[in-house]
Amino acid sequence: MTFRVLDPTPEKAPPRGQKAARLDTLKGKTVGFISNGKEGTKGFFAHVERLLREQYGVKNVVFRTKTNYSAPADKHIVAEIRSWDAVISGVGD
Amino acid sequence: MPLASRAYEAPDIAAVQELYHSKGWTDGLPIVPPTEDAVRACLEWAMMPPDQLIGVEPVRGLAITAEKIAINAVMAGCLPMHFPAVVTAWTAMMQPEFLVHGATASTGGSAIMVVLNGPIRKEIGATGTFNALGNKDRATAAIGRAIRLCLINLLEARPGEIDRSTLGHPGKFSYCIAEDEEDTTWLPLHVQRGVEREASAVTVMAAGAPRQIMNEWTTKPEEILETFAADMRANLRHYSIHPGNYAIIVPKQLREHLQNAGWTKTKIAEFIHERARIHRREWADVGKGSVVRDKGDRVYPALASPEHLLVIAAGGPAGGFGAVIPPWLGNKSRAVTLPIGACVDCEPPKK
Repeated sequence: MTFRVLDPTPEKAPPRGQKAARLDTLKGKTVGFISNGKEGTKGFFAHVERLLREQYGVKNVVFRTKTNYSAPADKHIVAEIRSWDAVISGVGD
Repeated sequence: MPLASRAYEAPDIAAVQELYHSKGWTDGLPIVPPTEDAVRACLEWAMMPPDQLIGVEPVRGLAITAEKIAINAVMAGCLPMHFPAVVTAWTAMMQPEFLVHGATASTGGSAIMVVLNGPIRKEIGATGTFNALGNKDRATAAIGRAIRLCLINLLEARPGEIDRSTLGHPGKFSYCIAEDEEDTTWLPLHVQRGVEREASAVTVMAAGAPRQIMNEWTTKPEEILETFAADMRANLRHYSIHPGNYAIIVPKQLREHLQNAGWTKTKIAEFIHERARIHRREWADVGKGSVVRDKGDRVYPALASPEHLLVIAAGGPAGGFGAVIPPWLGNKSRAVTLPIGACVDCEPPKK
């Protein structure tokens, strides 16, 4: 007996965002960090900040923390991204 | 209306199983072949066109249609009469406050617990007595499994992909219970949460594994409930200190003591709200002293308010065994209750 059975998946890829334009240099730029608020982000992001400032000449570093680490970033944080040159977001588990 | 899903041909039942397993479309167990006839029977039972939009997953923007839920429900072993409960559960899971993406993707490893209330329980044979949290009947087994197969196939919640659970728990195969409304004087869960008593309803909660308690040595309500509260305090100490929706399963033997003393679900929730709380300094007792810091005297309740406790009457007729079902992780996800057949975010009728 031949079975004719159906695909249980959406068969469509979820909507994807577009990549921002790449930067030629980080020198003099403003970089934002979006923390999910977990303990592990503190030391990790502090270390990355030091590397960015000392080795890549980053001028400003902005730290923001999500109110819910399992949800997308808060709207006011997303809005603020426009004023940054680059953004780093990590899990920090 | 034709179905939109791609069809595959397989020469026999073994080939169907291998096809679905090889594509990562199962939970590891054999599935029921989702043929067009079986899928259409589910949709017709619920009077839904195949392309009816059940919801859009709020974080990744994935649109979920009735047809795709029906395919997964058939695979899980659902009969058409089970399908409305699965669809309603998914409608509830799509609400932003449920945060299904976080609850499904988190290393915390929760499962989606489904609680059935109202007349549908009897219509489909969903039972809330013996083995209430285990294998008990076809309806709850299949409905709970359908939720998981939908998560796997519609949200890509496969272990190591979207599902990043460190451990997970057995409820991730199937986690559906029916309240024993007939053998209690308490209001059913859905009525406590604002649904009409005559309606059938589904409650979903991002839930950890059940934590079983036992107290057969008293008839005093305060002492019985202290055992539940103590287990919640243990969860606050050992797992997460943040408040959220907890559920407690109260079996007949313990219910009768509470009911005879005039304790309602509301009174129980108020008592538990007061008793299930710890000081942050207690974390130092269980190896978590490094994060107590200067907040040791701060009090952390398990419930932000009494109505966050889901009190569920269920369990076999004998035994003082209850259960505490903790939240996935504090208040990150809220339990959602919806009546079956209700329209959520429907367009207003056109004049």
